[in-house]
Amino acid sequence: MRVINMKNNRNAGAPAEQEPSRQMLRRTLLLMAVCGVAAFALLLARLTKLQLVDHDFYEQRAIEQQLREAPTAPQRGTIYDTKGRVLAVSASVDNVYLSPAEIQQYGEDRELIARELSRILELDYQDLLDKTGQTGSWYVTVARKVERETADEIRAFKNQYGIRGVRLETDTKRYYPNSSLACHLIGFVGMDNTGLEGIEARYDSALTGSAGRTVRATNAYGTELLFSEYEQFQPGEDGYDIVTTLDAAIQYMIEKHLEQAIADFDIQNGAGAICMDVNTGAILAMVSLDGYDLNAFLDVSDEAQAFIDAADSEEEAQRRLDEARARQWRNKALSDTYEPGSTFKIITLSMALEEGAVTPASSFYCGGSVTVKGRTSPIRCWKSGGHGSQNLTQAVQHSCNAAFVNIGLRVGAERFYDYCEAFGFLERSGDPDANLTAVTGIDLSGESGSIWWSENVFCSERNQSQLAAASFGQTFTITPLQLITAVSACVNGGRLMQPYVVRQMLRPDGSVAWEREPTLVRQVISPETSAQVRGILEQVVGDPKEGTGRNAAVAGYRIGGKTGTSEKVSLEAQTGQKEYIVSFIGFAPADDPQIALLVFLDTPSDKSGIYISGGQMAAPVVGNMLADILPYLGVEPEEDTERESAVVPELTGRELTEAASLLQKEGLRMRTVGEGDTVSAQLPRSGRRIALDSQVILYLGAEPSGETQTVPDLSGMSLEQARDVLAERGLFLRSRSPLGQGDRRTVAYQSVPAGTLLQQGEIVTVTLISADDSILGKY
Amino acid sequence: MRDDSARLAGSSPASVKTRRSFDGSFFLMVMLLLTVGVVMVLSASFPRAYYDPGHITGGNAVYYFVRQLVYAVLGLGLMWLASRLPMEFYRRWAFPFLGLTLALLALVPLIGVKANGSRRWLGVGSFTVQPSELAKLAVILCFSVLICRFGEKMKTFRYGILPFLGILGAMVGLLILEPHFSASVILLLLGGAMLFLGGVKLGWFGAALGGLGAGLAVLLTFFPYASSRIVTWRDPFSSSTDEGYQIVQSLYSIGSGGLSGLGLGGSRQKYLYLPEEHNDFIFSVLCEELGFLGAALVLTLFALLILRGYWIALHCRRRFDSLVCAGVTTLLALQVFLNVAVVTNLVPCTGISLPFFSYGGTALLIQLGEMGIVLSASRDLVL
Repeated sequence: MRVINMKNNRNAGAPAEQEPSRQMLRRTLLLMAVCGVAAFALLLARLTKLQLVDHDFYEQRAIEQQLREAPTAPQRGTIYDTKGRVLAVSASVDNVYLSPAEIQQYGEDRELIARELSRILELDYQDLLDKTGQTGSWYVTVARKVERETADEIRAFKNQYGIRGVRLETDTKRYYPNSSLACHLIGFVGMDNTGLEGIEARYDSALTGSAGRTVRATNAYGTELLFSEYEQFQPGEDGYDIVTTLDAAIQYMIEKHLEQAIADFDIQNGAGAICMDVNTGAILAMVSLDGYDLNAFLDVSDEAQAFIDAADSEEEAQRRLDEARARQWRNKALSDTYEPGSTFKIITLSMALEEGAVTPASSFYCGGSVTVKGRTSPIRCWKSGGHGSQNLTQAVQHSCNAAFVNIGLRVGAERFYDYCEAFGFLERSGDPDANLTAVTGIDLSGESGSIWWSENVFCSERNQSQLAAASFGQTFTITPLQLITAVSACVNGGRLMQPYVVRQMLRPDGSVAWEREPTLVRQVISPETSAQVRGILEQVVGDPKEGTGRNAAVAGYRIGGKTGTSEKVSLEAQTGQKEYIVSFIGFAPADDPQIALLVFLDTPSDKSGIYISGGQMAAPVVGNMLADILPYLGVEPEEDTERESAVVPELTGRELTEAASLLQKEGLRMRTVGEGDTVSAQLPRSGRRIALDSQVILYLGAEPSGETQTVPDLSGMSLEQARDVLAERGLFLRSRSPLGQGDRRTVAYQSVPAGTLLQQGEIVTVTLISADDSILGKY
Repeated sequence: MRDDSARLAGSSPASVKTRRSFDGSFFLMVMLLLTVGVVMVLSASFPRAYYDPGHITGGNAVYYFVRQLVYAVLGLGLMWLASRLPMEFYRRWAFPFLGLTLALLALVPLIGVKANGSRRWLGVGSFTVQPSELAKLAVILCFSVLICRFGEKMKTFRYGILPFLGILGAMVGLLILEPHFSASVILLLLGGAMLFLGGVKLGWFGAALGGLGAGLAVLLTFFPYASSRIVTWRDPFSSSTDEGYQIVQSLYSIGSGGLSGLGLGGSRQKYLYLPEEHNDFIFSVLCEELGFLGAALVLTLFALLILRGYWIALHCRRRFDSLVCAGVTTLLALQVFLNVAVVTNLVPCTGISLPFFSYGGTALLIQLGEMGIVLSASRDLVL
């Protein structure tokens, strides 16, 4: 009994010494049950609900806030030319931004930051200081796409002062090592690395690749967790490298000559050129001038800038700037349409031969004009006196409009229309009253479509004027690309190929991801007809007497082609101004064509003093280009036709008499420097080709002085005059143009511009054009 | 429990014996919980200590842990000392202690250290003390003394209610000045429990409950701060970026722990998402890292400790000892229950630390001291 026990205690009477009352113990037990059991049961139930029942819900929410997804930028693919030269490549750069919130949080020195960034990035100090003060923000951009070295300077500054409020993030920047070369073909990317023009735009997704993701757990400030292994990396795929069909060397050759032509002929409205592999449709070069530097695609030419600066208002200046940019970005070779003019006669000729409407033996009479049903005034031939009686080859050589109207009528409107469709100039829509259009479907953006008369208008029985004009390439518009594609079909055996610029895509490891096979659209004419067309067109260039295209001839090479001088008819109708596009389309070698080359010059000025025609302006340009391109492509010149020049033999070390006889055999003359019997040195060195009758310099016991000479202006001189003028200076001449093209030929182009200093023994190549323009018609 | 029923029925003298050593199982459970608690402080606090957003630790990742460890060692010393002191000592010093506590409480609103809009601490240098912790012990000791003294008179209003209400009123009044709402609630509940044990008529509790309800209604009507807490409590996600942020983050932690947790040290919420993660919300981190199994184990340990505390109270030879043990155990139970209830959003959010777990030096010292008092009482049991 507790009572008994209590009596034994020392202070039995004190209240605190009493044992707990029964009620107290009962109530303690109750409290025990509530606080020790019920409360915990409640808590466990709550935990069960939160952790077991609703686990997924909370986990999901937690993960959402804990994980940061950082896209990993894939490397944009490189663009190569067909020989593996880099046309566009991406490199890592950094974006610089501020985190003003952290600058404030860590009490970092705003003035120091602004001063240093202003120094390193060459930015305005006050502006930077203001940005550091935007303390509500964690991200204020300071500079984008900063080069490695500059970014490293900023890193050094950060480390030196332990600055956390200045941040760098990796970005990529696109570099175009060749600046403006092939700018319209390659295109460019915007700030966000999205392709905006050219191949960059058309193949953007392939070049871009797919962005990867790094998902990592972060703390509430978005920085990484310590010791956390939670990191998920979904690898992205770097973009494919793209191998184009473009050959940068050819592109360069063409751009160089085209720029020269713009200067020589005072071209008002730019120029363009396309070089195509006739057998595959692959674009080897595509030029549109004026171009722009891909690395600064927003900058316009000085001339355009001056025009912009002269604007009265901001809006006007902006409008002019936008316009200037749009103009320089426009690829004339596939975005502009024009009336092709006489170059289109190749198409008319091909269909007429294929259909048997004409034969090489057919004869045509040109009296200077021809009347056509449905037309009030007769169509004039460009030669007002008329070409008289001609066979088919002569009609093409003369580019006789009257003959071609005749040929077109013989083909007939229906068949003509069919062939135009087959050559890819139009596409029937099912509505005979609708104007028609077509594109080549090249893998570039910005291609314009042709514009053709509706079938009912074109094929009208009562009115044959459309057919008649179309026969010599007027009253419809097509793109230069469509023309060269169709002409390639005429000369390659009749196969219309789809033009293309990208032939391969490579994975980042270099393996081939995709390869393009040349696409045959259709067989348009037979190989036999094509051979006939080639033969006739070769006569246009190769015939020094009657060929309107003879200025395109290159010594040693068989070249075929056709001139064109198209009048901007609609412009004349609107403004009364007469403007022309002169063009020439050539192909080589004429017997087994490899390439076709179209050059068009938009609006030559008559101030140049040169008769405005494709034959006088565009043909020599094409000749100059082919003279560079064909040797580059390894096309062997045909020796026996190379009578205007000779290869300098190896003479050094030989006896003088022996050297003299060797030179005589080659058709070269000589002069000697010094005294002696043995040749100690020679100019030019052996193996070089120079014009016949040139004087080789033989040194007898002496050495060439190695002095330089100023190249004289040769233009307007005859071949012989030019040769002698050069010889006086110890320089040598070679003619690009073949001999035997008539006597009245003068130098129109020299490979080394006048005023250039050249070492003795060097060779200047000249292009001769006939001063007799009686056969060089406009059409 | 067999012993208790025997005692209630009046057991035989043969079953009575005196123990000289303190209760081993109670001690063991305190040690276990303290160990887990200190480890959890390390785990929960190191991200905050490392990132140091408040510029306190200087980036020392074990800053909080080392301090807590030092206090735990000091606390164990205090517990040992308290367990050596006779219960008579506590009875004798109960009222002087009450006087000291009231004096300190009165000082807090005047010279206390301000934090988060409240003055709750008295500080000398880096040493701070929260007088409200002392007040809880003072209530237990003084109420026990008075209950023993008044005996049967506890059933009257004059003795059973009035003096107690006076003490509580003074304390709560001073706490409201700080303000310290959660400590007031705990004091009132603790005082109520003591009076319940002391034999106050149950009718008074009904009246108190009514009064409490009325008080709450007044509070919610006139203090928008309190009513917005209720709104947040009912739907924390509606204000997950401001008022509800803390509780939402806590629920994320607990919920994402699942059955077995992310592993010790594996919490992601402690990376500055969850505020007070090493303090009032340390249990959330525990739930996230150790999962339901770990949390249930810790809660079970607490429950066993509490049951053991009541068991000791039931077996105390003296009424005063029994009341003090029951009081300390009830206080412990209240703190644990309210802390876990808050972090699981079972009750509206308020700042209540988890004994042996939450970072905080003086609270840990006092809690271990209180455990020492129970151990002291456990040396003289009737078994």
